[in-house]
Amino acid sequence: MPPRPKPTQPAARPLTITAVVDPVAALASGNLDENLYLYDTNRTVGSTGFGTPELRTRVRKGDVLLWNVIPLECETFVALADIDIDRRVADPVRKVYPGTDIVFFTATVKRDLTGPIGYRLSFLLGGVAEPFTPEASPLLVGPDTKES
Amino acid sequence: MKPKISIVVLVDAVGALSDRTLHDGNLSLVDDSPLGSRNLGTTDLVTAVVPGQVVQWTPIHVDVQTPVEIQNIEFLGAAPAPVPPPLAAPAAEEGAAVEPGYAAEPVYEADGPVLTLPDFPAAAEPWTGGPSALASNGFENHDLLVWEGIVPVTMVPGVPYRYRLSIKLHEGANSVLSIESPALLRV
Amino acid sequence: MAQQHGIIVLVDVNNALKERSLDGNAYWFDNMKFLGSTGEGTEKLTTIVPGAYFLDGSQATEQVLNWLPAALGSVPPTVPRNYLAEQARHTDQEALQGIAELAPADEAELGRIREQAGRRARRSHSSRSLVTSKVLDATGQVAGANAADTYNYPTPVITDITGPAVTEKIIYPAQYGSPDMTYDGWYWAATVDTSRPGVYAYTMHIQLHELVSRDDELVWEPVDLTCESYLKVITDPKRNAFTGAGLGVLPLPAFPPIS
Repeated sequence: MPPRPKPTQPAARPLTITAVVDPVAALASGNLDENLYLYDTNRTVGSTGFGTPELRTRVRKGDVLLWNVIPLECETFVALADIDIDRRVADPVRKVYPGTDIVFFTATVKRDLTGPIGYRLSFLLGGVAEPFTPEASPLLVGPDTKES
Repeated sequence: MKPKISIVVLVDAVGALSDRTLHDGNLSLVDDSPLGSRNLGTTDLVTAVVPGQVVQWTPIHVDVQTPVEIQNIEFLGAAPAPVPPPLAAPAAEEGAAVEPGYAAEPVYEADGPVLTLPDFPAAAEPWTGGPSALASNGFENHDLLVWEGIVPVTMVPGVPYRYRLSIKLHEGANSVLSIESPALLRV
Repeated sequence: MAQQHGIIVLVDVNNALKERSLDGNAYWFDNMKFLGSTGEGTEKLTTIVPGAYFLDGSQATEQVLNWLPAALGSVPPTVPRNYLAEQARHTDQEALQGIAELAPADEAELGRIREQAGRRARRSHSSRSLVTSKVLDATGQVAGANAADTYNYPTPVITDITGPAVTEKIIYPAQYGSPDMTYDGWYWAATVDTSRPGVYAYTMHIQLHELVSRDDELVWEPVDLTCESYLKVITDPKRNAFTGAGLGVLPLPAFPPIS
C-alpha cells in the first residue's frame, strides 16, 4: 500500500473574516453596501471598521485567513462568489465545508504589509446568476500600519 | 350570497426579487368565491363577484422572514383616465403636489368668484399614487393597510374588470413589482 | 402580511471566553431596518415592533420574534447542525477502513489514523449544547493533535430571555421545536403584546462552550454570559387602503374596460 500523504494539521485557528448579508434588502434596493456588515476575529489585535463594508483587518505575514458568510434571512441563499486581491499579498482558494456545498475561502498572508491593501468581495444573492460586488472595499492592514 | 370574498396573493419574495418579475411562478392568486372564479393558482385569476359583496386581498409570503405587502391595486379603465383640465389652481402653480386620488380642497379668492376644482368621486377614480402607509415612527408600514372594498351595483355584468396589482417586497428601487392580468367579474 | 422578525446575535466567542464577557463581543442584527430598527450590526440594537390595531381597538397583527445565535470565526450556521455529527461519522468510517488495510505494527500509519479520526471531547454535565463529542476545526475538518487550539467554537446556546420586556409581559419567550434543520430544530421565539408602546430592554442569557484539557481528557465546559437588547413597540390603526378611512365601494372605472 503506498503511504498516504499525512494530513496537515493547523496549529491555530484561522483569522476569520465574516460577511453578514441582508440578501432580501440588497436585492430590493440594489444596494449591497448598506446591507453588508463585515467582522473579523482580530479586534483585540487592532482590526477596525466592524459592522461596515470597509472592515480593516490587522494581519501579519503567515496569518491564515478564512472568509465566510452569514445570511440575515437563514432561508435565503447567499454565497461568497470571489475575492479579488493582489496575489502577491494573498492567494485565496475557494473551498467548501466537507460534505456540503457551502463555500468559504482561505489564504495565507504572504508578506508583512507596509500600507493598507484593499480587496473586493463578491457575492451571489437569491437566484440571481450575476455576482454582486459592493462599492466599498475592505482592507488588510499590516502590523505597523498607523490608523488615521 | 357569500358576504365576503377573500383573494390570497401568495408571493415567493426572493424568487420575484431575483427574477425581477411576479410571473414565472413567483406569484399565485386564489380566492374562495363559490360563484365560479377562473384561473385559480395563477397570475390570471378572474374572481366571480356580485354587487354588495366585500372583496379583500391578503398578501402571504412563501418564506416567513421576508416581507410581502400590497403596494397598490388600481382598476384599469377602457381608455386612459381623463386628465383634469389645468384650471387656475394656486396649489398647482406653486408646484405643490396634489395628493392623487383625493378631491382637492376648494380654492377661495378674495373678492372673486368661488373657484373649485372638479369634484372627482374617489370611488370611481383610478388611484395612482397609492394610499399613505405611514406609521407613527415615520416609516412606511404597508401592513397597516386593509385592501378591501364593496362591489358596486354599477359594475357591468359579464365583463372582466382587470386590475394592476403592485406588490412591495422590502424597500428600495427594485422593491415594487406589478401584474395587470387579474380581474373581477360580475356574474 | 407582516414578516416574522429574525434577530441574530453574532458572538465573538474567542474574545468573549477570554474576557468572560459579551461586552463588545456581541453584534446584533434584525431584518426590520426598513421599518425603523436602529443599531444594526452593533452592540446596541433596538428592534422595531410595528403593531397594528383595528378600529375597535383589538390587536390586528401578531408580531413574532425569533432569536438565532451565531459564532464569529466558526463554521457558519448555514451549515446544518447535524452536519457536525455526519462529519464525525464519516471520519470514523474512513479511520476504520484505514485500520482494515493496515499492516500489523505499522506505528507511523496508526498514528496517522489516530490523527484522522480526531479527538473526542466529553460533555460537562451542566452543558446545554447539542454539540457532537468529536472536535472539528473552523473549516469543518476533524481537529487533530492541536484540537485545544484549533477547535470550532460550537454555536452559542440561548438558555433564557429575561428583563423588563418579559416581566412587564410585553413578550412571552419560549423555546420551540422547528422542522428547520439550519438551527437544529430548536429556537427561541416570542409573541409581542403591541398594545403598550414603548422601549423595553431584555436580557439574553447565552451559554458558550470552551474545550479544556482535564486529566488528559478534553471536556466541553459551559460558560454562561448575558447581554442586553431592546424592543421598540409602536402601534398604529389599520386603515382601508382604498378610502384611507373605513370600508367603501371599490374604485372601479366609470366605463367597463374592453375585454
